[in-house]
Amino acid sequence: MIVTIITGAFLIYGTLDMPEWGDPNSPASRHVSPRYIEKTEIETATPNMVTSVLADYRGYDTLGETTVIFTAGASCIMLLRRRKKKG
Amino acid sequence: MLEFIIGKYNFWIYIILMMIGFYAMISKNNLIKKIIGMNIFQTAIILFYVSIAYKRGGATLPILTDADAHAHGEHIINMAQYINPLPHVLMLTAIVVMVATLGVALAIAIMLYRKYHTLEEDEIIKALK
Repeated sequence: MIVTIITGAFLIYGTLDMPEWGDPNSPASRHVSPRYIEKTEIETATPNMVTSVLADYRGYDTLGETTVIFTAGASCIMLLRRRKKKG
Repeated sequence: MLEFIIGKYNFWIYIILMMIGFYAMISKNNLIKKIIGMNIFQTAIILFYVSIAYKRGGATLPILTDADAHAHGEHIINMAQYINPLPHVLMLTAIVVMVATLGVALAIAIMLYRKYHTLEEDEIIKALK
């Protein structure tokens, strides 16, 4: 409980330096996201920007994501398989 | 002062939610309750990222409308017109990772229940000794 309160206090102290909620000029929306918003129609011809970023600009990320899903599924099968008793 | 609170209160709400999940993870005795705490923690992080994507002042979802989609570059798309698509993409990945960790954690819980016939942590530790 004490650990939880201390961690929460540190995190709330960290929010004091964060940009305000909904600020259009916050650092999160200034670096690459304007390029995604402005060029997505010309470069990928996809109206949904989330799809174009997921599948075109950051396709390797999605490839790794499928690896994560495959590993999780394989480990679930390995854990839950009932082995036949020998003899 | 009021503006300061309005600018920051949603981050505080997500931190409180995250700490509820953290408390459940470290102090509950039942393994299923620990897994539920982990899910609350991850959901708080997802809400935090989605709230970062928001832009004030009439920004809509990051999907081009028909009028913009058929302009083909003649119409310059304004950055302030759409909310930031990047955190949404990252959280799509995070949801996938969340499902993967949940599945493996539940599989391990089922294994433990088969072996020890309990999900209480102290009883499992007692049985291990």
